[in-house]
Amino acid sequence: MFLGNLASLRYFLPEFAVTATILLLVVLHVVTKSPRSTASGFLSLLGVGAAIFLAGVAPAGAGRSIFEGMVAHDGFAVFFKVLTALATLVVIFMSMDSRDLAGRSQAEYYIFLLSTLLGMFLLSSATDIVMLYLALELVSIPSYLLAGYLKGQERSTEAAMKYVVYGATASGVMIYGFSILFGLTGSTQVAEIGRSLAAGKATLPMLLASVMVAVGFGYKIAAVPFHMWSPDVYEGAPTPATAFFSVGPKAAGFAVLVRFYYTVFAAADPGTGLWRLTSAVDWPFLFAALSALTMTVGNLVAVKQSNVKRLLAYSSIAHAGYMLMGFVLLSSAGIEAILFYLVVYLFMNLGAFYVVVLVSNATRGEEISDFTGLGSRAPFAAVALSIFLFALTGIPPFSGFIGKVYLFAEVIHRGVYWLAVVAALNSVVSLYYYTRIVRAMFFEEPKDASAIPVPAVSGALLVLLVAPTLILGVYWEPVARIAADSVRMLAF
Amino acid sequence: MVNGILDYLWLVPALPLLGVVLNGAIALLVERPFLLKEAGLPLAGGHGAGHGSHDDAHGASSHGSAHGHHETPAYRKLVAFIAPGVVGAAFVVALLCVLSLASRPADGRTFVQILFPWIQAGSLLVPAALQLDPLSSVMALVVTGVGFLIHVYSVGYMSHERAFARYFVFLNLFMFAMLILVLANNYLLMFVGWEGVGLCSYLLIGFWYEKQSASDAGKKAFVANRIGDFGVLLAMFLVFWTFGSLTYTEVFAKVPLLRESGVLTTGLATVITLLLFLGATGKSAQIPLYVWLPDAMEGPTPVSALIHAATMVTAGVYMVARSSALFLLAPDTMMVVAVIGAVTAIFSATIGICQTDIKRVLAYSTVSQLGYMFLACGVGAFTAAIFHLMTHAFFKALLFLGSGSVIHALSGEQDMQKMGGLKKYVPVTFATMFVATLAIAGIPGLSGFFSKDEILWQAFSSSHGSPFLWGIAALAAGITAFYMFRLVFLTFFGKSRMDPEVEKHAHESPWTMTVPLMILAVLSVAGGWIGIPAVLGGSNLFEHWLAPVFHPVAAAGAAHGAEAAVHHPAALEIGLMALSVAIALCGIGLAYFLYRVRTGKPAEIAKQWPTLYDVVYHKYYIDEFYEWAVIRRIVTISIGLWEMFDALFIDGIVNGAADLVRAAGDRVRRLQGGVVGGYAFSLLAGAVLLVGYILYRSVVQ
Amino acid sequence: MIAPSAYLLLSAILFGIGVVGVVARKNILIILMSVELMLNGVNVAFVAAGSYLGDAAGGVFAFMVMTVAAAEAAVGLALLIALYRLKETVDITELKVLKW
Repeated sequence: MFLGNLASLRYFLPEFAVTATILLLVVLHVVTKSPRSTASGFLSLLGVGAAIFLAGVAPAGAGRSIFEGMVAHDGFAVFFKVLTALATLVVIFMSMDSRDLAGRSQAEYYIFLLSTLLGMFLLSSATDIVMLYLALELVSIPSYLLAGYLKGQERSTEAAMKYVVYGATASGVMIYGFSILFGLTGSTQVAEIGRSLAAGKATLPMLLASVMVAVGFGYKIAAVPFHMWSPDVYEGAPTPATAFFSVGPKAAGFAVLVRFYYTVFAAADPGTGLWRLTSAVDWPFLFAALSALTMTVGNLVAVKQSNVKRLLAYSSIAHAGYMLMGFVLLSSAGIEAILFYLVVYLFMNLGAFYVVVLVSNATRGEEISDFTGLGSRAPFAAVALSIFLFALTGIPPFSGFIGKVYLFAEVIHRGVYWLAVVAALNSVVSLYYYTRIVRAMFFEEPKDASAIPVPAVSGALLVLLVAPTLILGVYWEPVARIAADSVRMLAF
Repeated sequence: MVNGILDYLWLVPALPLLGVVLNGAIALLVERPFLLKEAGLPLAGGHGAGHGSHDDAHGASSHGSAHGHHETPAYRKLVAFIAPGVVGAAFVVALLCVLSLASRPADGRTFVQILFPWIQAGSLLVPAALQLDPLSSVMALVVTGVGFLIHVYSVGYMSHERAFARYFVFLNLFMFAMLILVLANNYLLMFVGWEGVGLCSYLLIGFWYEKQSASDAGKKAFVANRIGDFGVLLAMFLVFWTFGSLTYTEVFAKVPLLRESGVLTTGLATVITLLLFLGATGKSAQIPLYVWLPDAMEGPTPVSALIHAATMVTAGVYMVARSSALFLLAPDTMMVVAVIGAVTAIFSATIGICQTDIKRVLAYSTVSQLGYMFLACGVGAFTAAIFHLMTHAFFKALLFLGSGSVIHALSGEQDMQKMGGLKKYVPVTFATMFVATLAIAGIPGLSGFFSKDEILWQAFSSSHGSPFLWGIAALAAGITAFYMFRLVFLTFFGKSRMDPEVEKHAHESPWTMTVPLMILAVLSVAGGWIGIPAVLGGSNLFEHWLAPVFHPVAAAGAAHGAEAAVHHPAALEIGLMALSVAIALCGIGLAYFLYRVRTGKPAEIAKQWPTLYDVVYHKYYIDEFYEWAVIRRIVTISIGLWEMFDALFIDGIVNGAADLVRAAGDRVRRLQGGVVGGYAFSLLAGAVLLVGYILYRSVVQ
Repeated sequence: MIAPSAYLLLSAILFGIGVVGVVARKNILIILMSVELMLNGVNVAFVAAGSYLGDAAGGVFAFMVMTVAAAEAAVGLALLIALYRLKETVDITELKVLKW
């Protein structure tokens, strides 16, 4: 049952909030004399806060399909809207704090950021391939601009240029896949495509289409071998934007990946919490291989990095690999584990990047050597970063450990032992490069031993990011429950 | 159901945790930069260390301090307020909770507060839950009450310590862990607290870590405790395997059922309880793992009082008492517990005779008193064990704090041979310590008398007891009275043997230190009055309070009690009591004779039996024996293993793997050449490979 | 009447030329044009499929793709100008600061 356009409006309030904020920012940009005013930052905070409130306040219930079947309004979408908006909120704080961005026009930056957020909202709820494509591009195009926002800096511009070329190619491949699917089934509705494909047998075009679509989604979540853009872009982009890319669009990418593949190529077995493949395309096996490849490449290359931003870029590739483990299991518990991991990942990864922002504000650099002696130069930031890094490694009692436990438990439960072994080995490798930063911070002599001031507001935000990383390590039940509820509403 | 104040039980451990967070923030953000600046070092390398202050002497002294002239920074006042404040608040909450619990009928006095479902893995369901019942309420009150007093005392005692906030972070963290230990409703959560207190103990023993002996002592405590913890872990595993649960109430409820069905054999119960007891010997410093406790005196004195006398070391007793339902099924374990307890009691008491360091005397005394508690557990008198645990917490904390006050007055002197005649310098300390000494010696009317006598009587009369155990324990009581009065005489009476320089500065401690002493003195006197036995006309409230917890014990004891009434008339109990008091008085008399009347005599005796004196003075050479029999063997073996196995094989593998990873990482990253065309190519190549891969799989199948 | 397969072949060829252009050419302008070519290949496929199935959605999708392609090109060209001002080159192989 599709709701018509007018009837749908009341389920579209978070998107309206973001859109209204974007429009207000445009107006603000035009009328205000000083482009560097922080007003736009605060306005964006307000708008995103309102969006979180509007998204979170009304339960989606059993879910409904709105705008004539273009967009779904269900628990799964709401989960991702809150998640991505939360990430955006933190990134706005981070951006207001960043010295890189301080001398530049503010309103435009936030317009791009919020446009991306709008794209992520739509991406996590799109149920029609036209909408899906538009949403993906709405995420990508402002992202190119965010990456290149440090105009006049070679790295930033180079990163953006590479991003455009790579992103356009990847999305081109993806819609070529869409065109094949459309030709095969005669529908743009994801659910309808799934039903049509379930009837037929596996054919070469179908296979081609499934892989081509995987290219587009793989690019968004930075899965190997579609990850090449991400280290360069992450390194070149302003650090707050990097933090944003590593969490927001990645989460939205997982949302669309799960929704698309589980709707088109699989169907839920009622009551069992399991899914079965409806078409003969064995994509779980495909993605299992990608998962192993992604985490291995990410971790191996991270070992050799000396730039912390680039290291974290490879680390976030590895984390996409871990999360893909949950994707291939064809069980609700597997998806639940992804959702849970994304929440945990949101805090620990944004936290790590936030410390990078604070350090590079003072040292103007992001090399590991810039972090030496941080334990005495800014003890609180150093302890916080250590907590984030240990959480990313997956050491108890930090939240990352619980996230990994959920993923591993489900992988083992479903009998995919080889993948669990690969992931465990990878975790060991990751320990090596994460502790390298910790070692530099606490056991190496800095070139410059002067204290790095951490403003009170930054300290408070850091505490707000540390707290969930610690608390979710011992008390994760509510988040796990929310994740479980959000999965249950996926099928509609 | 409305539980009133009991719903706020979580505040009891949460408040000290709040203290940890607040003081931790202060320590990290304020104190550390401050100390670094003061030390004139930009870097943290040595924590600005090596600048005076790092032994007990200095910590306790206000003189000759290189930095005693600084203004008290504001943050120290804040810490001095927060740290005792949160513990005091926890005590108030605990007290209200216990009062609320007491207003319930006797069989309804178990309150469980589930905080959150903690671990759910397969059939292992462990909630993070607190349990307040008569047993844990006694423990919680002792821990928070005595803990509060010691926190207050520490404010004065540590006032010259540079790392003031860091000290209180550890102390508050200890309180949190200890409260988790006693309030947990299952073995796993208890074990978390168990490890937590061990960690804090380790951190606080080595608080002055620049001192080699302090960090060695920390290590020793760590190793001895790990051996014990291994036992607890195995026991927990067996408990889960047998009962399918780790929650106290569930485990103990299943005992009769599994006993009948034959799953829980006596052998199994013996293994589980012996393993638990192994853990208890580690934590509570019993033979053979007691060696760490005397060395633990390297820590600041309030720490010795709080952790190594009043609370943490009693955790083993608490655990045994908590698991009484299991221990009662294993008569062999009970015998082992009783014998180890009795032997430890007398063995360490004899060592106490010859020690000259005031804190070491008290340390061996603590080991000895803990032995009494285990003796009580071993003869099935769990109530008596907990009773003695409580009274011991009062008078032993007082003795330690008093000795700290003495040390404080003497600018750090701990050797009793360099004291004497201190009565007039530190009158409050003397008076309160004298009360505590009377209590520990078992003088009638004071708390120690009632609890110790309860144990002695049970050791004699219980079905697990025997006159032989009574004899050992009574003799140990006499020795205790002797060495404690020796301590008092050497310290406070007679002529001064002090360094004149030290004597000039001898002074009474500030009120933050003396007020806790006075309160503890009152408790040392009156604390025993809630457990006056029936034979002396009391109603033994304490036993009635704990009866629901040791219900199976009480039931067994009731039958046994009737039997006892037949065989042991009240006259016998009174008689034995009088006898033990007489023995104690003999000990005191002997001490008076040797250290007040014929002060040259002890040296003569030592000369007369040089070998005996030497052996006792050197603590029976147990440390040396361990060094020779265990540590040296292990070192030899491990060096051999290291040379053969580790250096060649493991190192090869580990280093090889690390090199491999690095090399692989280097190769893989070269793929990222920087040119977008290459990136796009890899995208397409990847897509083509994936299609090929799927096709290949579909063909193969 | 031309067979639908002919349109699909055309679309595949266009797409292929575009892909080869992206991978092989050095001039960023040409690369951006090649991306357009890829997208046009997709458009042909959509329109052909739509007309064959009698479904207007194919045509609609093609219009959407055109719009997005225009936006993408605008951003790409803007960045290219910024890049040219900085490095005075439009050779993509010169963009090698970020690597490994």
